[in-house]
This record gives sequence, C-alpha cells and structure tokens, in this order.
Amino acid sequence: MEHIELFFKSIFIDNMVFATFLGMCSYLAVSKKVSTAVGLGAAVIFVLAITVPLNWLLDQYLLQPGALVWLGGEYADFDLSFLSFIMFIATIATMVQLVEIVVEKFSPSLYNSLGIFLPLIAVNCAILGGSLFMQSREIATLGLATTYGIGSGIGWFLAILAIAAIREKIRYSSVPPALRGLGITFIITGLMAIGFMSFGGMLTGGDEESPKEEVTASVIEETKENSTLNEVETSEDKVVANNIKVNE
Amino acid sequence: MAMDTDKNSYTVLFAVGMVLVVGSLLAFAASSLKPTIDENKRLEKQQNILYAMGVNENDESSANFVSTADAPDLFKKYIKKQLVIQGGEVSEDDQAYLIDVKKEQANAKAGQERRLPLFVGEKDGKSYYIAPIRGKGLWDAIWAYVAMDENMVVQGAYFDHKGETPGLGANIKQRFFMDDFIGEHLKANGTFKGITVAKGNADPKNLDKTDNEVDAIAGATITGDGVSAMIRSDLKLYVSYFNNLKNN
Amino acid sequence: MGLLSKKDSKLILDPLADNNPITIQVLGICSALAITAELKASIVMSISVLFVLGVGNVVISLLRNIIPSKIRIIVQLIVVAALVIIVDQVLKAFAYELSKTLSVFVGLIITNCIIMGRFEAFALGNGPWRSFLDGIGNAAGYGVILIIVGFFRELLGSGTLLGFKVLGDPIEKTGLYSLGYENNGFMLLSPMALIVVGIIIWVQRSRNKALIEDH
Repeated sequence: MEHIELFFKSIFIDNMVFATFLGMCSYLAVSKKVSTAVGLGAAVIFVLAITVPLNWLLDQYLLQPGALVWLGGEYADFDLSFLSFIMFIATIATMVQLVEIVVEKFSPSLYNSLGIFLPLIAVNCAILGGSLFMQSREIATLGLATTYGIGSGIGWFLAILAIAAIREKIRYSSVPPALRGLGITFIITGLMAIGFMSFGGMLTGGDEESPKEEVTASVIEETKENSTLNEVETSEDKVVANNIKVNE
Repeated sequence: MAMDTDKNSYTVLFAVGMVLVVGSLLAFAASSLKPTIDENKRLEKQQNILYAMGVNENDESSANFVSTADAPDLFKKYIKKQLVIQGGEVSEDDQAYLIDVKKEQANAKAGQERRLPLFVGEKDGKSYYIAPIRGKGLWDAIWAYVAMDENMVVQGAYFDHKGETPGLGANIKQRFFMDDFIGEHLKANGTFKGITVAKGNADPKNLDKTDNEVDAIAGATITGDGVSAMIRSDLKLYVSYFNNLKNN
Repeated sequence: MGLLSKKDSKLILDPLADNNPITIQVLGICSALAITAELKASIVMSISVLFVLGVGNVVISLLRNIIPSKIRIIVQLIVVAALVIIVDQVLKAFAYELSKTLSVFVGLIITNCIIMGRFEAFALGNGPWRSFLDGIGNAAGYGVILIIVGFFRELLGSGTLLGFKVLGDPIEKTGLYSLGYENNGFMLLSPMALIVVGIIIWVQRSRNKALIEDH
C-alpha cells in the first residue's frame, strides 16, 4: 500500500519538474520534439531507478551518522554525512557512464535511441535531486527507495512528454516572434506548474481530525505504540504516519 | 603534452590519484575543522534555547540571539535544570541540550526508548519549559525550540530549517511567524491538540490564542504542514510530564 | 580597457546580454526558479556562483590536458563538489552565521548546470586566464537575470526590497497600501518565476531581433 501511495505521490504531487523545478535545463533544451523527449524521459526513469536505491544503500551503510556500525562498535560514532554530495554525484556519474558502456555493448539499437542522452543526464539535477530527497525524507527501505526513484522518473517523463507535445502543436499558432521558442515554453511551463499545484492538496487531507486518545496515557506507552507503528508502517511520509497515530 | 590520455591504464591511474587527492583534502578539512564546527553548533543550541525563552536581543522586527560570547554564561544563569525524560523516568543531565533529536527519532523508529530532553528555565520569577522538536519541511529538515509554561501555553518559539525556499518556507525563522506562537495554547479543553499552521485562518491577526491555530505563510504550504506535524507528534510526547507536574 | 584585450572583454560582456546563460543558453534554470522569491537570496546566490565558477573554470582549465576524456564528467563534478564542500566547511568553522545563510545554496550550486556547462564548453579548451574571464562573465550574466527576477518577485509579492518595506506597511495600511494596493502573493510562488523569466526573454528578443528563434 505505501508503495502505491509513494509511487503516485512522487509522480503527481512531488513532480520533479512542476513541484520542485529540478531538471529544468534538459527539460527546456530537449523538448522540441516528442520523439527525443521520450528518449530522454526513458533514460531519466532508468537512471533514477538505478541510482536512488544505490545511493540509499550508500547512505544507509556508509554516510549516515552511525551508519558504519556494521564494521564494529568502535565505528559507531563516525559521521561521514559531509561526503553525501560528492558520493551521490560520483555514483550518478559512474552509473551513467557504466550504463552507457553496457547498453552500447549489448543493445546497439537501444544505444542509438538512448545513448546520446546519457551524458546529458549526469548533469540533470533531477537525478541528484532524487537522491538528496531520498536522504532528507528518510525513505525507510530499499524497496521504497526503488519505488520512489521510478515514480520520480515517470513524473519527469510525463512532464517532458507533455511540454514536447505542446511545443509541437504551438508551431501552428501565431506566437509573438520574440516569444517563439524558449520564451513561450517558459510561460507554458509556468502555467502547467500552476495547474500541477492543485495536486498539492491530495493526500494531506484529514489533518484536522482531533486526537481521540486519552492524553493522560503515559508517555511510555505512547512512545512504544508510535515506535512499533512506525516500524510496521515504515512510511516515509510523516504526515501520513501522524494521521495513523491520530486516528488510533 | 604528449601523453596518451585515452589509455585505460592512464584513466585508472588518474581516477585513483584523484580519489586520493580529493579524499584526503576533504577528510583533512572535515577532521581539522570539526572541533570548531561542533563548538559553533553547541553555542548555537544554547542561543536557540535562550531565544525561545525570551532571552535575546530582539529589536523592532528582526530576530537576534544573544552574542556567542555571552551565550554560555547566560545559559548557566537562566537554565536552572536540564531534564531527560526516558520512558516515564525523569532524570537530570547537564549535557541534555547536546542530545541529537534526529538520532533519538531514528532510535525510536528502531524500537528503542526515545530520550526526550527538556530544559527548565527561569526568568523574572516565571518558569519556562523548553522542548526541542524536529520534523520535515519541503526540502529538508526543520526544527524548533518551543518554550511553554506549566499549562502548555507557548511562551516563545524559535524555528529553524536546513534548506527551505528563501522568501517562502524559510520565513518560519522570521519574527512575524515565530512571535505568532507566543501565548498560543497547545491544549484545548484539557487535552493536547497541538497548533496548526492554518491557511484561510478566520483570525489572521491572531487575536484568539485558544484556537490552536496560527496564520500560515503565503506560498509555504508544505513547510507549514511540516511545522504543524512536528508540533503535534513531538510535543505530544511531553504531555504526561506536564500532567504529572500539575498533579504534584 | 587597457588590462583586457578586445577579445577578452568580449568574454565578460557577451554573457551579460546576447549570450546570456539563462535566457539564451538555457543553463542554470533550476536555481533561478528556486531562490528568487527574495532579492537578498538572489544576490547571495549570484556571488557564490561567481566564486565557484571563476575558481572552478581555472582549475579545470589547468587540468584540461591531463583529464582522461572518458571520465571527464566525473572529474568535473568532483572538482565542483569538492570545492563547494571545502568552502562550506571552512565557513562553518570560521563564519558560522554566514554559513547558515549560504548552506541552503550548497546543493543548488553543485547541481547548477551552468557550472558543468561552462566547464564542458569553455574551460576544457582554453587557457586559465581566458577561462577565468569566461567564468566571471557567465556568472555575472546569470546573476543579472537572478537579480532582476528577485527584484520583481520581492517587490510585487511581499512589497519589500532586501527586507525593507518600500511600499509601506500592509498591516498598518501606510504608503501605497492606504490607497487600497495589495501584495500579489502569487508572485512568491515558483511558477511565477518561470513566467517572469519568459517575459524577460520576450523583452530581450524584442530589442534584439537577431535572437529570435524560428520555433
């Protein structure tokens, strides 16, 4: 269940392009034609689906404060989180080049359609953004991280597909000459983003319910309940987790 | 330069060399600067706690801490007791302000008892109970120090964030937002309700202090929801302490 | 310009208008949208990018003959990331207040494609001095757009500039507000940044017809 929720949330509500404005550069530069947009979009889904879980593992077992505890108790105090940026970005760049080499070797036809976009992706901030969000939102399991990566990728894919289709059609409209091309694309994206903001209200409803439980209940029990709940639910979304607690 | 930079051996050598250089540079910077950074963070915590209980150098509209040089002395002067609440047990610990709320939240998720720090301050004959809370905003972590009286009425608050949007979510650390919390009741009819950062508030000038609502910042919905959520989930854990306080 | 030859000064002046990184080269858009709700944040970001791009361009240019082409993207990314992280750590230790203002931008600077774009397009093929000028010029061109967008969004959205209430006080109803003027909260939302940049492009291309695209 939380997989489905996270999946749709990362496609629509937290859409990479329209909600957080990440990956704008390649979004604007490669959206002139639907066919190229599809290629780049597919590549983004692919790379996000690989790098987000990979970086999740890195974060969990290397970077987080206390993550090195599997090496032995004496490493528990190490905090390598200052390395997050550089590790994430190195993983992404490495993966992109690795994928490029592998695809070229085993599927030349796929390489011909995808290959030219792969170097572009290393500098696409949506990819690094995906990993950083994964870290800051404390996604709980590897499976959820994969779902999140795929969902965010599909969100980005949808966005570039939509704008490419609009740009193909808008050629037949009489746009003021100075606005043609980039200018009108900016403005249309702005309008689309305003449209996407309406998704923001989804999944956050139900916040207003008043807590029903007795407040005199002791702290111990509450914390215990909450912690077990959190464990079972492993939902990355705090608001949702809170709703569950409140509804109890 | 007549070097063959395309050879595999050269590429590998270069990569290894670069990893060594960059790695040692970063490690050197991080480990040599860590004590200074930690000291800065420690002083900042003291400043934040003092700010929440109204010991600050606020002028007209900007929020100003006491100076870093004065912070340790003032902290000693105003903070009478530092408590740690763990599983219903209350103990004193004069290093309680160094407890990492983020780590405790993670521990609670892993099934451990969460240690809850609480600072008891006294100013002009009035007692302040200051609790640190932590949650998620739009981009990254947000946290706060909330000063309350015995009835869980907010006496002051300091909000901060890691990376909220400047001009929107980042405004939670502006006076106009933080001061709205002063006098606001966390309880309604004796039960804990929290404080909701509400849009379309019927009371934009915040005259009604018992409605459990403060006015939201325009354009910062998700950050505001994060503030409401962390107040509800984290301050709730202190309820039984305050109940015991009144019974004794 | 005694110090700079004509060709060199072109490196600085071109990106300010006719080859602007944001409106023409389509680089560095993400950050331009994320932080321009406030003029102050725009200025801070511009200065940070000026520094990182200037220094980074020189470093890459010095390394240009020894970087293996196969892994050049990784090398470039790591140079920027290391540079930014070290500066961030030093600031955290010695200028804590300043670092708190800047920490928001650290991630945005690393992912700013303007930096990668200039490394790839210029620093890899040119000497350090010219690369430095190119870095400064492009960062300045980027900054100009950021400051224009920040100016309008803060003025129309919050009625302030750099935090000063230039239009009067909206709650006390002084200044313009006494005439019934209201702040347009919409300007503070990110989509409006896109539309403001779109309008800047419109104005720029109306003045210089050579920049108009076919489609």
